[in-house]
Amino acid sequence: MDIKNWLRPFEKLPRREATLIALGWAIFLFFYWWLMTRGEKNLFPPPEKVWQGLQALYQEGLVVHIGSSLWLCLQATLISVVFSLLLTYLSPIPLLRPLAKGLSRLRYLPLTGITFYLAILVHDARSMQVWVLVVFMSLYFITSLLGVLSDIPEDEINHARALGCSRWEVLLEVVIKGRLDYVIDVLRQNLAITWMMLVTVESILVAAGGLGVLIKNSDKFMNHGRIMALQLVILFVGLGIDVLLNYARKTLFRYSTI
Amino acid sequence: MAFTLQDTIILSVENLSVKYGDKTIIENINMEERDVVRTGHVQGQSIAILGRSGRGKSTLFRSLCGLEKPSTGFVRIPDFKNKKEDEPYQFKEVHEGDMGFVNQHYTLFRHKTVEQAMLFAMRKQDGTKQEKLAHIHDLLKKWGLYAVRHQYPNELSGGQRQRTAILEQVVGASKYYILDEPFSGLDVGNIERMKETFRLINAEDELNTIIFSTHDIELAIELADSVYVVGYLALPDGSYSEAATIIKHFDLKSGGVAWQDKLSQAHLDIVEEVKQAMMGS
Repeated sequence: MDIKNWLRPFEKLPRREATLIALGWAIFLFFYWWLMTRGEKNLFPPPEKVWQGLQALYQEGLVVHIGSSLWLCLQATLISVVFSLLLTYLSPIPLLRPLAKGLSRLRYLPLTGITFYLAILVHDARSMQVWVLVVFMSLYFITSLLGVLSDIPEDEINHARALGCSRWEVLLEVVIKGRLDYVIDVLRQNLAITWMMLVTVESILVAAGGLGVLIKNSDKFMNHGRIMALQLVILFVGLGIDVLLNYARKTLFRYSTI
Repeated sequence: MAFTLQDTIILSVENLSVKYGDKTIIENINMEERDVVRTGHVQGQSIAILGRSGRGKSTLFRSLCGLEKPSTGFVRIPDFKNKKEDEPYQFKEVHEGDMGFVNQHYTLFRHKTVEQAMLFAMRKQDGTKQEKLAHIHDLLKKWGLYAVRHQYPNELSGGQRQRTAILEQVVGASKYYILDEPFSGLDVGNIERMKETFRLINAEDELNTIIFSTHDIELAIELADSVYVVGYLALPDGSYSEAATIIKHFDLKSGGVAWQDKLSQAHLDIVEEVKQAMMGS
């Protein structure tokens, strides 16, 4: 192990050394956090307060709330994925192309106005939560998927055509089957945005619970230990989903080199 | 070498031109190739298209295999599928799927293994999956790809990828193979393998026709029996035409230099002539 290599630009380090560096930073960060929260006035709550907050949250049913948030996310994701994929896969058809492109442009529209119309159409709060997320997620999902489609090299389409594929076969083989791994990757990126939206959306309906509700309640009582604990929980659950989806992509699609 | 030219025209290109917007890329391309019968051999045709970079070779290739709609003219080939017994071939305009096309990057379906790609290429042919697989396995062994039959394109070497891309067209039952720069980026071993691939295709069927481009003129003269040079035509006022066309054709069969095992002085003379033609275009 040559420490000098750690400071040399573009140096490729062995996996063990890279892990050691990451671990060192984590320990440093934790120590810095602990050190900076020793005094009377602190920007962040000290680690022990966060730990206490986490314990209290666990006793109040943190796991159930995580489940509720995940379930909300899953419902919204499934509807959004089906809707977005359908529109994107139909976008190579000239007549239907404006639909996907138009919806993609709507991502610049503020969400505030949309919730008003959704409230007229949807009557129960849980559905409202789901549909706000669906609208939000779909606009970004369609945008990313359209990007995937436009990045397909002309060579791949010509290759399928030279093999006698009809245009529908080209769509199926090159676009749909040939880019399934990209869908998972796009889902991964967009889920991160949705996960961030969770707190806002869950505050629509307090009775349904969820991490957003917990963080809102903790904020109301200025319980910073709990807020920070919840933020860490949201961060780690989000990272967990990310790792899981990335693992699924690599396992299911051996050819995927994204 | 004894050979006869048959009446069967295997490729007819007449007044072909391709325009992108206002820009004409190729114009007035005319080619005619006939079936060659060589005594004691099954002999397909090998046609080389040579020319400097940016002279529209790839556009010509895409038009030949029906991927590009010509602005004028047409490409015709015999209608093999609808031939009636004891009747000469009827001609048809070429459509996408009539000619196999392998581009410079050896593009394959990224989500199909070698075996799956072959099966897909045979999807329109009669026979059970087992029969098709048996045929595919035979070919994969012959082409040195059997060991990698369950691998995806990203797991293949450059040479393996290239052979897979060509074999995919072979099993697709096309008689025409358009290979855009099949020798680029290959090491000496893979170049030899590629030359062997040419021989395999040519020896497989009398009507098999390879149309290829390369920047290696010697190699083209060694492998082809007909060579077309594409370039800008020199005009009387010293300028050049704005679109590329065929500026010279060498029939190596008539010249007695086709299908030789080794390069002779006659080959090298043609190489020199091709170079001169290319430099002046």
